[in-house]
Amino acid sequence: MLALKLLLRNWRSGELKLLAVSLILAVAVLSGISIFSARLESTLLLQSNSILGADAVVSGSVPISQEWIDRAIEDKLQQSFSTTFMSVVYADDEMQMASIKAVDSYYPLRGQLDISHVVYAENAVDIRTASAVPAAGEVWVDSRLFSALKIAMGDRISVGDVDLTLTNILIDEPVGVNPFFTFGARLMMNIADLPKTNIPQENYQWLLAANNGKNLTGFLEKIKPELNQHQSIATIESSQEQLTANLKTAKNFLVIASVMAVLLAGVAIAIAARQFSVRHTNQVALMKSLGAGAVRIRLLYFGQLLMLGVAAALFGLVIGYGIQEIVAVNIKQLYRITLASSGAYPYMLSFIGGLVCVLCFALPALWFLPGIPPLKILRRELAVNMPQVWLQIGLALFAMVALVGLFSRNIKITLSSTLGLLVVLGVACVVSWLLLKISKLFISNLGGVWRLAFAGMQKRKGQSVVQVAIFSVALMLLLTLTIIRTSFIAEWQGQFPADSPNHYIGNMNAADVADFKQFLLDRRIDVNPIYPVVRVRIAKINSIEPSEELRNRHPAFKQELHVTDFDSLASDHDIVEGQWWDLWQKTAPDRVGVSVDAEFAKLVGLHIGDQLAFSVGGLALNVEVASFRRIDLKSLNQNFLFIFEPTALDRFSPIYGTSAFIPTGDTQYFNHFAREHPNLLVLNFGSMMENIQKIISQVSNGIGLVLWLTLGAGCLVLFAAVMGSIESRKQEAGLLRALGSSRRLMLGSVLVEFAILGFLSGLIAIVGAESFLFALQHLVFKNEMQPHYAYWLASPVIGMVFIATLGVVCCRSVVVTPPAVVLREAT
Amino acid sequence: MLDVKGITKKVTTAEGDLTILHDLSLAVAAGESVAITGASGSGKSTLLGILAGLDVPTAGEVILNNHSLTCLNEEGRAQVRADNVGFIFQSFQLLPGLTALENVMLPLELRGNKKAKNLAMDFLVQVGLEKRTSHYPQQLSGGEQQRVAIARAFASQPNILFADEPTGNLDSTTGARIIDLLFQLNAEQNATLILVTHEHRLASRCQTRIELSAGEMMPSQGKQ
Repeated sequence: MLALKLLLRNWRSGELKLLAVSLILAVAVLSGISIFSARLESTLLLQSNSILGADAVVSGSVPISQEWIDRAIEDKLQQSFSTTFMSVVYADDEMQMASIKAVDSYYPLRGQLDISHVVYAENAVDIRTASAVPAAGEVWVDSRLFSALKIAMGDRISVGDVDLTLTNILIDEPVGVNPFFTFGARLMMNIADLPKTNIPQENYQWLLAANNGKNLTGFLEKIKPELNQHQSIATIESSQEQLTANLKTAKNFLVIASVMAVLLAGVAIAIAARQFSVRHTNQVALMKSLGAGAVRIRLLYFGQLLMLGVAAALFGLVIGYGIQEIVAVNIKQLYRITLASSGAYPYMLSFIGGLVCVLCFALPALWFLPGIPPLKILRRELAVNMPQVWLQIGLALFAMVALVGLFSRNIKITLSSTLGLLVVLGVACVVSWLLLKISKLFISNLGGVWRLAFAGMQKRKGQSVVQVAIFSVALMLLLTLTIIRTSFIAEWQGQFPADSPNHYIGNMNAADVADFKQFLLDRRIDVNPIYPVVRVRIAKINSIEPSEELRNRHPAFKQELHVTDFDSLASDHDIVEGQWWDLWQKTAPDRVGVSVDAEFAKLVGLHIGDQLAFSVGGLALNVEVASFRRIDLKSLNQNFLFIFEPTALDRFSPIYGTSAFIPTGDTQYFNHFAREHPNLLVLNFGSMMENIQKIISQVSNGIGLVLWLTLGAGCLVLFAAVMGSIESRKQEAGLLRALGSSRRLMLGSVLVEFAILGFLSGLIAIVGAESFLFALQHLVFKNEMQPHYAYWLASPVIGMVFIATLGVVCCRSVVVTPPAVVLREAT
Repeated sequence: MLDVKGITKKVTTAEGDLTILHDLSLAVAAGESVAITGASGSGKSTLLGILAGLDVPTAGEVILNNHSLTCLNEEGRAQVRADNVGFIFQSFQLLPGLTALENVMLPLELRGNKKAKNLAMDFLVQVGLEKRTSHYPQQLSGGEQQRVAIARAFASQPNILFADEPTGNLDSTTGARIIDLLFQLNAEQNATLILVTHEHRLASRCQTRIELSAGEMMPSQGKQ
């Protein structure tokens, strides 16, 4: 209890405020970001899963076994069954090929079905969310089928041997697995009517969802080995690579931002704890003279620290919760998205993070207190075994790396930040040591404030080096976050300009392609590449049929693939090995080449020059591997495992597909075009684009908030570091003032001293920040590094102005106080 | 109460070993008051530190209230100090973040005394600071601060009180009042008093005076 009493007294005397504020800030930032990213992640995952209609889909050509269904019930998973198939549907004399989905009453498990009674409905008032799927005997069709069959609401549509009544127009539904290759207009019916159609089925889908993600992951892991070769599992990660890649980027940005803020708060904690422990040297000596042993002192001080840590962590959690709630409310108002709950995990993690901060940043500074000899109370000059400041920095560095590892759980981010910190500390030491060495040579030739400033730095050599190191780390972390908030996010946003494609148009024949190009020309819409597409099977690799082991490595061996031929390389594709067609056709004019997705090639073990044989509807297509391509997964453009050289697919009567950006103002014209071409597959993935743009905006908001908090932490650090030298300046200032130095001269020397330290720190900080960002770009984001020249100029200037101002403000009291008072206090 | 047998204190310096105290022996009875005087650098404070168990001699033995301080480790000496010793320092050594009352309470709280507040209050009344209990050290004059320090020293009811230049930072009038208070309380508590001082006025109030010169006792020492 005495520890609590002492804690309250120390708090009242203001000695713990800097330490407490730093701890609260660290936990507030950690919890704010952790809770926010957990909520963002689960919300975006839910939104993403609504594209799939479930958290996972098991697809196959055979029905799901009863044993799996029972096991899913045991694991408390939600289930829904659906079947998809292509068939010609009839209404009176009209007929049309349609993509039919038969669903049970639980469909969809994620997302919703939007229906209307208005064809091509676009206005929100015309569209409603279905509360159930089509009842038995009913059918819903999309607007294009509605036009193609020339039907009206209540008409009968024949699907196989069953007649169903049209009750709604299907406006939007989860697109399901592999949406790019769904053909024809859509029709949805109840699965209860399926047997009556007498259409043989071979595409069963088992939709699964769980409130607890672990249940589902565990279940999928269990059934994975039991899947037969005709079955596969799709999750949002496997079916929506682009969205997943962007989610990962979003998470990385948030993690890095929070880590920057926590590192800065950690530095503030370490400085505050050191100042606290230095101030308490005498108190400990007194307590020891009064009979308190080392064990007692340890318990009293560590107890205080622990209590302070717990209280600050709890308070930090409340503030963190409040901060992220403000962002969540803001997001709700701006984007009409209610963030899902985060669960308890981020709270626990942040609380533990707070305690790690206490243990690793603050405790080492207090470690020496129990060892203070009681004789110190009589002999002030007695040396105390203070912890070596470099040992403390070493421990803090270790703690920083541990914290980054704990929160990011990403070895590359951990490595990058460690590299940045090491560069800063190393350069700071070398540069400030050099400055002190060189300044010694010319110090005697200087006059006035300059001489006094350099003499001050020489006198406080160790302190000056440590100050440069601390200033540099603080400025580096602030710079890194600022650059991430501005340039990085802008670069990311730049990958998704406002005119990114929002529609996929497929299943076009050559005549449709001409019409579509004309439509785009009429509406002055940019034409994207139009890909010819054929369906192929991989028959042989180097004249050998794929082995069972190889077939199990990638689903491409078990199903028909959509491939294309094309002459120009898309901007988001990158040739990593081999030649693209311009060179290939010169070096191998007599051979047909194919460009292969680099990851697939690596997985399968393909080499340039390997011979591949494909089967195209029974016809053989023999080609040679000409190149490997890497694809930017974050891009929304369609990806093909195999791209053949131009005209290679002409003889196989390809169908054509493309993506296009249809501006909102042209939607009605586009719908009209689609109505006139009912065989086209039209997929509107504007919502996916919107999702990604929302992710970017939300992340940008989140990082903006962290930046403000980090600025707060940065100011605390700089303030604490400047205040650390106040005591040693007091006596010197009193003496100089007593000997007749003017305030102007002394303030001038302080200004010059801190301006030099600030300038150096700013310069070192940008070196560290660029190293960190280089490592991040290289290891984490896989982007090219662009130097940030503006910051190279701004950083030293800002460092100089800010730190000089701070130095003068903090030291002003020492200089303007009458010398007698200063000298009396200093003794 | 205190038995000192042949203590020597040496320290290592750049120039070699330096002997600060040389083969000192003395005995102090319970309730006795002893003044240690001498010029600056004569080893007064070093001797006080060793007698109080704050430091250990290089050779010799110190027995305080039947505890051989030289045979104990730091934890053991701390326990002996907690049970027997009170201190008054030249620079008062009040904790700036604590009020006058809390400063006096501190040694009692360290002993786990449940009535720390009441006892501390009593002693502050005895030193005439009942109206200054909630003041912080920087709000008190030098004399008032030393009175708080005296209250703190006596509050733990020590068997032996060590005072290091208790009037060194005070003007002569205030110093005289502090001397009166010190001896008055000492008489009431019947504690053994060992003080280090330059001041003849203070030394003359003690029953025994030990004068140190270059770490050795001068022949003039003895009971007055």
